[in-house]
Amino acid sequence: MFVKNKGLNVNLTVKTLIYIFIGMMLLNVSAFSADLPGKIIVGCLEPLTGAHAVFGIEGKVGMEFAVKHINEAGGIKSLGGIPLELVIEDVGEDAMSARLATESIISKHKPVAVLGLYISRLTTVASEITEREKVIMVADALVDDITEVGRQYLFRPSPKASMQGRSAVEFVLQAAEKAGVKVEKIAILNEDSSFGRSNAIGAVQAALDNGLTIVYQKEYPYDITDASSIVHGIATAKADFVVHCPYFMDAIIFAQAFKELNLIPKYIAGMGACGYSDPESIEALGAVAEYYSNTCSYNPAKDTVQNRKFVEEYTAQVGHIPTEGAGMNYYGMWVLKEALELSGELYPENPLNPDNLRSAFLQLDLTSGPAVDTYPTNHISFDGKGDNPHARATILQVINGESKVVWPFAEAEAEFVFPRPDATY
Amino acid sequence: MNFFKEINLGKLLILILFIIALGIPYVLRANQYQVLLATTVLLYGVMATSWNIVGGLAGQLDFAAFAYLGIGAYVSGTLFIRFNITPWFGMILGGLVASGFALLIGIPLFRFGIKEVWYALTTSALVEILKVAFNMWEKVGGPVERCLPYFSGSWQNMRFVSYAPFYYIMLAMLVMALIVNQKITNSKLGYYLKAIGEDETATEVLGVDNRASKLKALFYYSFLIGMTGGIYSCMYGYIHPSFFNGPESTKVAILGIVGGRGITYGPLLAALLLVGAQEFLRASLGGEFSGLYLLIYAVIMVIVVLFKPRGIATIFQDIYRKFVVREVKNKDVA
Repeated sequence: MFVKNKGLNVNLTVKTLIYIFIGMMLLNVSAFSADLPGKIIVGCLEPLTGAHAVFGIEGKVGMEFAVKHINEAGGIKSLGGIPLELVIEDVGEDAMSARLATESIISKHKPVAVLGLYISRLTTVASEITEREKVIMVADALVDDITEVGRQYLFRPSPKASMQGRSAVEFVLQAAEKAGVKVEKIAILNEDSSFGRSNAIGAVQAALDNGLTIVYQKEYPYDITDASSIVHGIATAKADFVVHCPYFMDAIIFAQAFKELNLIPKYIAGMGACGYSDPESIEALGAVAEYYSNTCSYNPAKDTVQNRKFVEEYTAQVGHIPTEGAGMNYYGMWVLKEALELSGELYPENPLNPDNLRSAFLQLDLTSGPAVDTYPTNHISFDGKGDNPHARATILQVINGESKVVWPFAEAEAEFVFPRPDATY
Repeated sequence: MNFFKEINLGKLLILILFIIALGIPYVLRANQYQVLLATTVLLYGVMATSWNIVGGLAGQLDFAAFAYLGIGAYVSGTLFIRFNITPWFGMILGGLVASGFALLIGIPLFRFGIKEVWYALTTSALVEILKVAFNMWEKVGGPVERCLPYFSGSWQNMRFVSYAPFYYIMLAMLVMALIVNQKITNSKLGYYLKAIGEDETATEVLGVDNRASKLKALFYYSFLIGMTGGIYSCMYGYIHPSFFNGPESTKVAILGIVGGRGITYGPLLAALLLVGAQEFLRASLGGEFSGLYLLIYAVIMVIVVLFKPRGIATIFQDIYRKFVVREVKNKDVA
């Protein structure tokens, strides 16, 4: 046996070398392609059970539609058309479950980015983990503080809460000017969460900037059962209009109190997108919901091909037009897609590296494309904190039992009603 | 002779379990999620074991666990944020403030004979009252989240990037809670509490100072949970009124009851099985089928309550008596 193989078989050696070379080439190719996976995993972290499930489920559906549309449009083109894949975890309603869900989704799926968590305190907890793991987070929680604690990998395309408060005040002032009605005195109300307070801070600042007099301001518990004393207080202070950041039930209690006491100011504007103008509130309030308005971080009436497609498909599946939660996450996913495209162009050697992707987010300057087509304004970029300085809310007013976009005036689908026809003082 | 052999077997089992517990973070070190899950199980284990003193032994249906946890978290967190006082000291002070508050509530409650369903309702309301009060208390943050200073790894400030240190701190708390539980169970106070849990009126007739016994139980329970609150705030990195969590307080009581009231290791066993099962179901099904995991979890609970109303710890008690004790007896006979 040894004797047979003692001489060097040249053919065999050359063949072996060729095989080894080919093998190494193949290994090399497979090692190269391992840098770009077959699909890009994106995590959906939303409260799908518990008190906030209604918002979380809408957000999840918005993300699902965005992923479907992105993949139909050819995936991430700068990365050779890699499709997105959405993995979903329920974050529940407390810090403990949110932390577990975030750790779970990152350890199981190693996502490039996560979207969600809608509730600010849950976002605070989850973003501590995404920072540690260097995972990009596209947040849909609106409390100002989220971007104030120095997070490096967190981006929030939506208008933050204080901007919503400002938008509510500016809408009323512009509507009053158009209608030729003088408004000088404002009352500001908010439920006692950090979200409510952030909205109120924005409203206060806008009121002061515009020379209004704040004649009444109140932060009340969100589970308030009787709003009559507050309504009396507003009437006594003779506020021309009220800006109010409610949750859901408290909006109903306030609207009924205004009606029953017949102490209705010239206008009552919601801020923060909860209550008054959403489908559930309109159903619960019936005719009482008429003329109330609220801010929204999404414009369902924006007349673009992409937005119409989203609204039509969403309405066909869910039964109503996209709510704020759905809209925010729909364009949030498109913003992520644009960042991935840019990262592919700027850093072709390692586009999914979190620092490269972060850099791409910071260099985004979008004025067209599907993300902008579904966004409330026509400009998306991010400042050093992760907020979009060009963000602004839209205003939806209940007119004839339906929620209609009335502001910005240029994009309105219906003419606003101001002052309220049923105002009593 | 039997007695000593039984004791040795028990001790050996505890030692083995303790060594396994010590090794868990090392085995799971590559997966932060699993270490966090183990730490969360221990957290509930500490809370349910502490609850066992007042709920299991003394038979008081207490739903205020997260009230004391919240107080502990706020005391420790606020001292850390505002005065840079180490959470190690803060958690002890948190425990003392929580137990002081518990006594403040307990004295009038027990003085006026509030018990059974009325005690349950009062303690349940306590969590909500504290939540509202802390929402309105601006000096400690009001409704806004107050973040603890960030340290990438500091034992002095109890802030870590990994969960393994929290796991060991929580394990130490659990050992402390189990020892306190066991000491009380075998003490005169433990017998008083068990008697109170069985029949409060009869105990009083026999001359036991019910009020003092229940207050002592309340003190130990709230102190342990208050201390845990200090760790909780460091682990989550902020303080917020949502820490006063009614449903989670109920969960602690459920773990205590399902585990086996009055059995020292029962609540821990329930925490291991039920918290682990709940999280497993949530992580497996929560994303695709919203709420299904809660339904399955509820069914598991119903099955446990139907077939083992005295608690799941009794299964292990029966196995231990059937095999281990019989084995020892047989050997002695031989």
